[in-house]
Amino acid sequence: MSNEIIDGFFQAIYLIFTFDPEVWSVIAVSFRVSLTSTFLATLVALPIGSFIGLREFRGKRFISNLINTFMGFPPVVMGLIVFLLLSSSGLFGFLGLLYSTTAMIIAQFLLAVPIILGTGKAAIESVEPALKETVLSLGANERQLWWELIKDSKKSIIAGFLVTFGQAISEVGAVMIVGGNIRWSTRTFTTSIVLQTRMGEFGMAIALGIILITIAFILNYGMTRLQGSGK
Amino acid sequence: MVLLEVKNLTKDYYKKDGGVIPVLSDINFSIRKGETFAIIGPNGSGKTTLLRILGLLESPTQGEVQYRGRDVINLSRKHKTQYRRELSFVRQKPLVRDASVFDNIAFGLKVRGLKLKQYKNSVEDMIKRVGLSGMKNKSARSLSGGEMQRVVIAMNFIITPEIYLLDEVSANLDPVNVKILDNFINEIKQDKQKTIVLSTHDRYEAIRLADRIAVLNEGTIKQINTPSLIFQSPKDEFTAQFVGYENIFGGVASIDLKTHLNHVKINDLVITTSSQKEGKVKVCIHPESIIIAKNAPQNVSSLNLFKGKVEEVRDLGNLIHVVIRTNSEKFLVSITKLSQQKLEIKNGSEVYINFKATDVKIL
Repeated sequence: MSNEIIDGFFQAIYLIFTFDPEVWSVIAVSFRVSLTSTFLATLVALPIGSFIGLREFRGKRFISNLINTFMGFPPVVMGLIVFLLLSSSGLFGFLGLLYSTTAMIIAQFLLAVPIILGTGKAAIESVEPALKETVLSLGANERQLWWELIKDSKKSIIAGFLVTFGQAISEVGAVMIVGGNIRWSTRTFTTSIVLQTRMGEFGMAIALGIILITIAFILNYGMTRLQGSGK
Repeated sequence: MVLLEVKNLTKDYYKKDGGVIPVLSDINFSIRKGETFAIIGPNGSGKTTLLRILGLLESPTQGEVQYRGRDVINLSRKHKTQYRRELSFVRQKPLVRDASVFDNIAFGLKVRGLKLKQYKNSVEDMIKRVGLSGMKNKSARSLSGGEMQRVVIAMNFIITPEIYLLDEVSANLDPVNVKILDNFINEIKQDKQKTIVLSTHDRYEAIRLADRIAVLNEGTIKQINTPSLIFQSPKDEFTAQFVGYENIFGGVASIDLKTHLNHVKINDLVITTSSQKEGKVKVCIHPESIIIAKNAPQNVSSLNLFKGKVEEVRDLGNLIHVVIRTNSEKFLVSITKLSQQKLEIKNGSEVYINFKATDVKIL
């Protein structure tokens, strides 16, 4: 057993440094799905989240609770929901998107939206009230104020983006269910690791694990750097 | 013309346990266009809250703020922005945006829709004027405290709004910046077009700048009047203790080239002072610095000697305040009960008052 693991480790290094095409396919799919979903979620949820943070209105507390609840939504359940919607008998079955990267992007997008909503809202709310007031008393309208606050909290917003991306790329359940783990097509780091481990192909599993951990390390390093340099 | 009117304004803060802290209660005043209105009061009297309400940074619990006869408290967002664009609000603590000096100073003009072409020159002039030449592209947040204060002054005075709200601005300024700020304020006061509402706890600042003063204590206005009336006859004990007594006159000063003494002409009275400030000035003389004599004193060193008539005698217990009219002006003089009895001072007595040129303070 222990020999297998050691063998696997050496095989992993071999796979990484010989640029194995299958490893590269997995990396490409993972990045494409996670980046696209995080990016789209930011595009949609950042303006809305920051707007919620900016304004005071009735029901704001309820909406905040709702966002917080969905931030911890179980990915597997999200996978199930998207699966049911996209399956041939589902509401959007006619689109024929099940077991495609688009389906994976949709699932991860839905998981990412609440997180970006929450971080956008928190980022705006954490701006010093005195800055808001200064900008307002200099004559800014609401849109101009919003832009100033976004600029002032850009570090928290970038950090939020990185966290969301990190969660997306290491997520298993949803992408497994809606993507189907198809080789060369919808296989990602995580689904691949699950499969290779089952098949006893530890080399490939360890190689992917090492890459995934390296990515996580780089993301965290980036975030610490961000937080270290001021806000 | 009344520009700003505050009616029955009340502000309460609510504590978590349901308790109420009244911050302002039943505030009423109106400010004319072109006027400099000072709100004077100790810390915690509600000055800042009052200015914040005028600047729409806080809303009152009750009451109205009218600008040109229209209530501004319940305006739509868009109209609130429009009203705010008629104001400049210089706050106690300097705070700049995370941008260059140039961007910070230009911000107020930029949000009002001006293009870079239109404001570039005036921003650069302003940077020179506040002594920040060469720092145009520096990050404003990297500046020293004093430099940051100048950015804040510049960004608020470049806007040229209708009303300037100044919240204890000179309290935290270093002397150089006080001068810069005074220059701006005097320039605004000169053409009498713009209105200034300022809060302060410094009575000399209020005397120097204000056309009228409102005395604020524990959230209520004790009195509103011109500086000379407030300081000569405070209506209540708080005002008397907090702002103190002072004879204040407005006049025009010119220095005699032979004697180097300064003569201030106040209506048909001329006061001599050793201070060297010329032009339109305010003159302050402490009631304690004035000496009363029954007969015209001879061979005294004091240069200011006037004949007058006692108009009022106020008994303050151990001290007596005597109001004496000379020509066009009234002087408040503080003497002891013993002196009053010795000199037999009562309403209608004819007396001489004199005080030293060095006891005359010029603001």
